[in-house]
Amino acid sequence: MNKKIWAVVSREYFTRAKTKGYIIGTLMFPIIIVFLFGGIYIFGKAFQPSTQNFAVIDQTGRIYVQMVEMLPDTLKNGSLKFSFSEIKTTDENLEPTIEELKQKVLNKKLTGFLVIPENILESKEVKYSARNVSNFDDLEKIEWAISKSVSNIRLENLGYSPEVIRREMYAGYINLTSFQLTEKGEVSKSGVSNFLLTYLLTYLLMLFIMIYGQTITASVIEEKSQRITETIISSIKPVELMMGKLVGVCLLGITQLVVIGSFVYLLSAFGAPFLLKMGIETPKLLNIIGNLQFTPVVFMFFILYFFMGYLLYATLFAAVGSMVNTTDEGQQFLTPIIFLNIIGFFIMITVAQNPDTPAAFWASLFPFFTPSVMFARIAVSHPSLPSGAVLSIFTMGISIYLIIKLVAKIYRVGILMYGKKPSLKEALKWIRYK
Amino acid sequence: MAILEVKNISKSFASLKAVDDVSFSIEEGDVLGLLGPNGAGKTTTIRMIMNIIVPDSGSVTLLKNSEENSTNLIGYLPEERGIYRKMKLVDVLLFLAKLKEMKMHDAKEQIDYWLERLDLIKWKKKKIEELSKGMQQKLQFIATILHKPKLLILDEPFLGLDPINTNLIKEIILELKAGGTTIIFSTHQMESAEKLCNKIILINKGKVILSGKIGEVKESFGKRNIHLEYEGKEDFLNKNKMIKKFDNFGNYVEIQLEENVSPQDFLKEIISKIQIKKFEIKEPSLNDIFIESVHSQNQEDDHE
Repeated sequence: MNKKIWAVVSREYFTRAKTKGYIIGTLMFPIIIVFLFGGIYIFGKAFQPSTQNFAVIDQTGRIYVQMVEMLPDTLKNGSLKFSFSEIKTTDENLEPTIEELKQKVLNKKLTGFLVIPENILESKEVKYSARNVSNFDDLEKIEWAISKSVSNIRLENLGYSPEVIRREMYAGYINLTSFQLTEKGEVSKSGVSNFLLTYLLTYLLMLFIMIYGQTITASVIEEKSQRITETIISSIKPVELMMGKLVGVCLLGITQLVVIGSFVYLLSAFGAPFLLKMGIETPKLLNIIGNLQFTPVVFMFFILYFFMGYLLYATLFAAVGSMVNTTDEGQQFLTPIIFLNIIGFFIMITVAQNPDTPAAFWASLFPFFTPSVMFARIAVSHPSLPSGAVLSIFTMGISIYLIIKLVAKIYRVGILMYGKKPSLKEALKWIRYK
Repeated sequence: MAILEVKNISKSFASLKAVDDVSFSIEEGDVLGLLGPNGAGKTTTIRMIMNIIVPDSGSVTLLKNSEENSTNLIGYLPEERGIYRKMKLVDVLLFLAKLKEMKMHDAKEQIDYWLERLDLIKWKKKKIEELSKGMQQKLQFIATILHKPKLLILDEPFLGLDPINTNLIKEIILELKAGGTTIIFSTHQMESAEKLCNKIILINKGKVILSGKIGEVKESFGKRNIHLEYEGKEDFLNKNKMIKKFDNFGNYVEIQLEENVSPQDFLKEIISKIQIKKFEIKEPSLNDIFIESVHSQNQEDDHE
């Protein structure tokens, strides 16, 4: 590329990169992330659950030992989540003991207490008393531990030895691991986070293409409305000016995406482990982000399709900018282009779930849908490539080349045309001008 | 060697023939004034020279023998002036210098020199939108000459400038002329053209009606005026067959003689009738030529 184009590229890049809007836009995401982590760190520490103390009256004398053994959960800071103490009592002393425990709960010396009746095997009822009984997760665990203990005892009563029971029960556990079938073999991953990633990234991709595409329109209109074009055109060919603009604004977009992408990557790779190290339980939301398969390869395709999708759309946006005198006038021409992009997005939503149908294949090769649909197919099929992925790069390349050729002719005439905005038909006539 | 050769260019916009079969050429070191009333086709001609508009027919050959990218050798000040309002002066100038592929070091040096010269140096780091219209004009002029162009094309360079700044710009143009820069400029300020140009082209309604070296044009125009100051009765002016027309200004009179009458004969004729205080043969001013030519062409057209 020649020096003149680089002059345009660097003007376009640096004057825009220095604006407040761009700097805020670029740093917004990382700043939000930093605040999020900071918030989790500060509030996570403050609201960290402490060890819960339970008293257990085990009238059977056989349950307590087993259930405690089954609840070894610890908090992130290493201390026990549940601490149990067994209260021995006789039938006569039961009522006063319970009264005593109630007082302790009310005085917050105890989280709660359990009474396991002697006839638990038949009644299957355990009483739990506490100030707060809405901690379902914890109660479910305790319920589960006691249930298992009861099952064990029933089996022991049938004559099985504890060792046999433990072995057999353990042998009965199964794990559901999902595997994705690809040409390169099976790869295990979880489906949910992958779809989430795909939608999220594709949405971001299209948003960026539109935002930066419209920046081009604004940039062309600026030069036109401020009557700068003629001065510039005396030094550089219109097509070079257009290319310089396209590349300069594209680099702005890529800068922003790399900053945001790096943060998402750092977040998914190091976010949860970092918090864990600080002794803070990771919120479920962050766990999902942590599970995102945001690999460098997906990121690379993301940038590639941004680059190509941007060039395709932004070239059209440049044509619109050259044809009109104000942003308002441009709206009429911009709407169909934006619409085209939205159609691609809707197709993408379906295709992400069925990435291998012939319809998905063809839709992803239509240049205006390729950035969204093909990217979605790549993200969903990752790490193997869907059919037509490589082909799409060629079809996009050719389309971009043709569109630029065509638009350069409209652009050349349009930027020097003042006054009434042309109809689409008139603008298309410009293509045939010498 | 011709630096610029324009051959039979024409351009129509819809039904209007903006430029009609215009031809001229200029040599290195020439200063060419492109003159004409408003809407004569001056700007359209310049735009065709700059390849901003493609002529319907005819050809433009610009700096044919130069090896360098010819756009770098040209400085163009368009009639439609504008500059990035949100950028700082120095950044705009650096950008435009880069577009001409100037070396960074040279560009910075030149920018400082010209900003100083045109009294804009304290605005160097200010945004363009903070400048007045006149300052923006001067800035645009700097941008045009920054890269020391071989050929300078100025479309109405004095438009919107006050007399002080007009003189400043004229001074610089004369300096560049002395330095060997070839200059084309359009104007309808005949006075400036008379001072600066050695060649003129007069365009009206898209057609060239006069062209050539300024002396030749004046000579071929032929009409010499006599500036006469006298004492005595003014009867001699009336019904004098030698006089085509005259303008009496009280203290003096401007006389235009009939085609076949020489000033010599006229002087002989009047010397006995009045006391002559001053008798001067004046060449027609460009202004006279301009008005006369445009006027007569318009009349011709009306007859058609």
